[in-house]
Amino acid sequence: MNEKNVIGRELEGILHKPKRQLAMVFDLNKCLGCHTCAISCKRQWTREEGMEQQWWAVVNTQPGLGTPKNWESLGGGWDAKGEPRSSRIPTRDEFGDAWQFNKDEVFHGGKGKVTYLKPVTTQGEAPDWGPNWDEDEGGGEYPNSHFFYLPRICNHCTHPACLEACPRGAIYKRAEDGIVLINDKQCKGFRFCMEACPYKRIYYNHVRDVGQKCIFCFPRVEKGVAPACARQCQGRLRFVGYLDDENGPIHKLVHQWRVALPLHQEHGTQPNVYYVPPLSPPSVDINGRVDPSRPRIPTEYLEGLFGPRVREVLTLLEAEKAKKNQGQPSELMDLLIVYKWPNDIFPDFLRDPAEL
Amino acid sequence: MAMGMTRRTFLLGTGGALVLSLGLLKCKKTGAPADRPAVPYAERVPDVRYRDFEDVYRNQWKWDSVAKGTHFVNCWYQRGCNWNVYVKDGLVWREEQSGTYEQIDPKIPDYNPRGCQKGACYSERMYDESRLRHPLKRVGERGAGQWKRVSWDEALNDIADKTIDAMISGDGPGSVIWDQGTAQTNGGAGVAMMRTSLVLDTPVLDVNTEIGDHRPGAAVTLGKMVFCSSSDDLFHADLIFIWGGNPIYTQIPNAHFITEARYNGAKLITIAPDYSASAIHADQWVPVKVATDAALGLAMAHVMIEEDIFNRKFVQEQTDLPLLVRSDNGRFLRESDMKPGGAEDRFYFYDLAAKGIELAPQKTLALENRDPALAGEYEVQAANGKLKVTPVFVRLRQHLQQYTPEKAMAICGVAPETIRGLARGLAKARAATCITQSNFSKFYHGIEMERAQILCFALAGQMGRKGAGYMSFPYLSIDAVDGLGVATGKQSPKLALAALGLKMAPELIKAKLKGYTAEMTTFELGRQEYRHGAFPASLLWLYHQAGMEDTYGQTEKWDPAMKRPLDSYMKEAVAKGWQVKPSDRPRIFFEAGGNILRRFRAFDKVADRLLPTLDLMVTIDWRMSNTALNSDYVLPAAAWYEKDDITWATPLSPFSQVITRAAAPIAEAKPDWEIHCLILKAIQRRAGERGIKSFKDRHGVERPFDVYDEFTFGGRYTESNVAEFLDLLLELSTNVGDANWEKIKKKGFQRFTALGENSYMNIGNATDVKENEPITAGLWHTEKKMPWPTLTRRMQFCIDHPFYEELGEVLPVHKDQPNIGGDYPLYLTGGHTRWSIHSTWRDQRHMQQLNRGQPVIYISVKDAAARGIQDGDQVRLFNDISSAQLMAKVAPAHRPGQVTVYHAWEPFMAKGRTTYTSVTPNPINPLQLAGGYFHIQPRPAEFAPGSTDRATRVQIEKIH
Repeated sequence: MNEKNVIGRELEGILHKPKRQLAMVFDLNKCLGCHTCAISCKRQWTREEGMEQQWWAVVNTQPGLGTPKNWESLGGGWDAKGEPRSSRIPTRDEFGDAWQFNKDEVFHGGKGKVTYLKPVTTQGEAPDWGPNWDEDEGGGEYPNSHFFYLPRICNHCTHPACLEACPRGAIYKRAEDGIVLINDKQCKGFRFCMEACPYKRIYYNHVRDVGQKCIFCFPRVEKGVAPACARQCQGRLRFVGYLDDENGPIHKLVHQWRVALPLHQEHGTQPNVYYVPPLSPPSVDINGRVDPSRPRIPTEYLEGLFGPRVREVLTLLEAEKAKKNQGQPSELMDLLIVYKWPNDIFPDFLRDPAEL
Repeated sequence: MAMGMTRRTFLLGTGGALVLSLGLLKCKKTGAPADRPAVPYAERVPDVRYRDFEDVYRNQWKWDSVAKGTHFVNCWYQRGCNWNVYVKDGLVWREEQSGTYEQIDPKIPDYNPRGCQKGACYSERMYDESRLRHPLKRVGERGAGQWKRVSWDEALNDIADKTIDAMISGDGPGSVIWDQGTAQTNGGAGVAMMRTSLVLDTPVLDVNTEIGDHRPGAAVTLGKMVFCSSSDDLFHADLIFIWGGNPIYTQIPNAHFITEARYNGAKLITIAPDYSASAIHADQWVPVKVATDAALGLAMAHVMIEEDIFNRKFVQEQTDLPLLVRSDNGRFLRESDMKPGGAEDRFYFYDLAAKGIELAPQKTLALENRDPALAGEYEVQAANGKLKVTPVFVRLRQHLQQYTPEKAMAICGVAPETIRGLARGLAKARAATCITQSNFSKFYHGIEMERAQILCFALAGQMGRKGAGYMSFPYLSIDAVDGLGVATGKQSPKLALAALGLKMAPELIKAKLKGYTAEMTTFELGRQEYRHGAFPASLLWLYHQAGMEDTYGQTEKWDPAMKRPLDSYMKEAVAKGWQVKPSDRPRIFFEAGGNILRRFRAFDKVADRLLPTLDLMVTIDWRMSNTALNSDYVLPAAAWYEKDDITWATPLSPFSQVITRAAAPIAEAKPDWEIHCLILKAIQRRAGERGIKSFKDRHGVERPFDVYDEFTFGGRYTESNVAEFLDLLLELSTNVGDANWEKIKKKGFQRFTALGENSYMNIGNATDVKENEPITAGLWHTEKKMPWPTLTRRMQFCIDHPFYEELGEVLPVHKDQPNIGGDYPLYLTGGHTRWSIHSTWRDQRHMQQLNRGQPVIYISVKDAAARGIQDGDQVRLFNDISSAQLMAKVAPAHRPGQVTVYHAWEPFMAKGRTTYTSVTPNPINPLQLAGGYFHIQPRPAEFAPGSTDRATRVQIEKIH
């Protein structure tokens, strides 16, 4: 098997699978919506010209339209038969254009109070969308409003729709760790990948005419350093490791405790980012009378994102939390707590980059 | 695709052909065309062997050097993060949290990797278009942005001359005012500011009360505002309230302790009007009406008392509730009532064991075998006849009858069963704590909200135990700075400090004779210092000297309960010496790192009134703030990665943090320490050149103009050796172990080993710092039985001060929020934003991109619909005071009747340059003018009036 076809599924009788698969688990009960992941990634990888509007790591308020706008309704991925589902390429405005500001005019222009700082898109227009435009709005009706944060990166799928969509063969999945990369020397900017990806996590670099996306910080990973978004996450919710490492937190959360679920698995790409679904305070009436029978976030909504096991997982989390409250041990809670960083959260990536 | 082809057929057909046509397709071992379906999949996808492209990314992750750093902005509750600053080609390339905090206890989560998204892009911020690179002199209208680039010498000479002119004029040095704002580092730059004002005798505004961070309810109850445990102490709690704060926005590096404590079994309850980001991870969210938290707290207190589930032992030992008050006038029974010449500050309780009244011990809280009564009425033989007395507890219980859960619901909107549940949970918890921030401080009746909260925690006995507490003002700093800030003369600092010690000795002896604790003594010295007027409370300064009396002083216009105007309270407070009235006309204003023209409430009015009267306005900053934009001179400061310094911390993250010079200051920027040196050097030189030998200080004493020599301790610590000064600071500090500059510079931080012996602020935490344990505030009180620094030397809920009596606030009460701003239907609330620390990152491009790039106002779905407002519409926010334009953000999570603008939009980001801060009249609450009552007297950072901008009344309308 050569490197080009490690796509993790059986095709015409041959199983295409990387030797190992790196994965992340995002614990949504710890996410603060602070976007330090987004910024750490931006400062690390997407600061060049042509990448201004790229946010390889985003955080969306759910329910919401997200990044790019309305991405959950755009299609892509595979249908039940394994055939590609139709989709389209999101526009630059849907991702949220990188706005420019008239600082020089305000600070040094001598115009006085007639002017003020304002954002404009590259088209010179007032923006009406951005990567976090609907932050903290959510759904429901007060007092049973609800929202939670959903951090998203490229899922480095086992069956990546982007890879198979690329007519240039520029996308490949690394055999050693399953990281999906776009070879941007090979890429010609056709953007079929952007269309095919059901998570819409690929951006178009209009200067270099290539598609670009999260690289799982492979240069860091190769040196034993955790990806920037994970290592800089002070919410301590981004677990990183190999799926097959039975002693690692990823395997324990995904396969042993089975509390980490893939996002929109119906797209059939078998994502390698998993989510511990969000608990939420129970419903209340306008005077704060608690109704424990009604979950605040509708279970059907969560099932729509994380699949049919959501209820089971939330029940387990509550039960294990209750054990702790009673002073009993809970291996699951201890796992999610992360007593010692980085050992408990990415045990294979302990190196401090400053010490390299 | 549009023609109904699946993507794969497209790939196999057109796409493949297209690729082939480009002649770049490798592969095809079989040589078969790419579009022939019969070829196995593995062989029809082009082979990728060019993995060397990966080196492009590998090569991007390279740097030349790494240095330690942090951010000298006042992010306060969340401050104190150790960063590695990566430098490439002489410029800072990026930063990343170091993640090297040692674990304190393996059973408790560690502090790594402290940081936030703002800190993670300071490397971008420091080089963006806001950065000040050269000294600038205003040549156009104020605020217009018309500048002439000038040399440092030209700027310094002109500034020095104008400063000298003001100092030697009849207005004197009191007319030169400094504002250090959030640049108060309590390290080199902070001491530089203090020493500059010391040698020039020019006042520095005491901003803490003005910004509303002074925790007035905590201060009058505990005798101090500083009182906070470490973040990891949360892990010991089994009940955590988030009540009066939004830590998911404002304590980003600490927040994991909250979510992890929850996984550890703690129940998390968020009490807030809106379903905030801090509610989403809670186990219960309690929607409370805006500005009614005191009623909720008092109802909880009522439940704990009536259900007899309060902690009797704690109440007897730690609070004033057993102390006796006279039935005739409601005042404490004092020793002076009982016998001629008796003390005014000795109080009594009725001892059930001895069956008689007894003086409460003053030097300890320990009760030994005493059993102070919490019930009953007693008759005592006083000096002037018989008096009926009862414990405060009896009066409190009676008083709380007006806050039964049923009655409270009518005020706060929380159901009785919910209130009872909260009270029972609090009383029964193993260890309960309250995450509360400086939010209630900023309400007009916030003092009562905090008093009610603390009453709940005291009744439940949930303070001063591992995991149990109440988060008041968090502060912890290296402790040598206080002394060095006020050490005079040109001798070496150690001699200067020794001289200072000698000078203070008589006061220390006096305090000891009065039985003061170390804490009380420290505060008493602070009070004495404060009377000299070197640190005017900025609201009082704005009221008396900057033309804001007609705005901040019109309280009676809004507060229907007032029987006399604010002016009358003000005059009384000044006449009785309860508050210090700033009396010098301002002529020169130095903004040394703050941003008054964003910060001052109704800043636009301040700008209109104050600025035209000034000879000169100078801003020292690294970025173009709104204050800089309106200044006569702008002096470019070094960014936080371009200088060496130490900054203050808090017990929440109990590590002293440093910044180091990772890269050289850009262009002509200079470190603040150096700028202070150069200003003083220029003043000394220009005075000499002009033949001016001396100036009269604010107390009429002639002082020579050798201000630079005094500042530098006789030339020992100058602009060229700040590192040696930092070394000195560490050497003289008693609470960072054996840290020295070289060591700490390499490591980036040092965990505190103690509160320290010399700090005015630290001591309020009243606890020992142990190497392997989280910090729990107040253990000196609960375990060592050290009295609280109040009049009664107990946590004090009964305040028999004339203003409290007049305003009906002797015991904690709920008072309705007045219609401040006019008769409008919506409450404007606020809070610190996720996206900036004050205004420092508000116009940073990434932070802008991750919200809406312009000022926004959160509106409920219902209120928006009623006004025809849709998300994204431009709206006008207005009331009787002013108006501002913002973008509507319509959020189901928002409470109807409440609109929210998060903190610190720069006025230059808003059309017309007015913001949410413009619509508040910020009326001074007369209660906060109280003084002359042992612990209720102004001292640095406390007991002066605060801002009251929360819950201003407003209306909004769509702009068509």
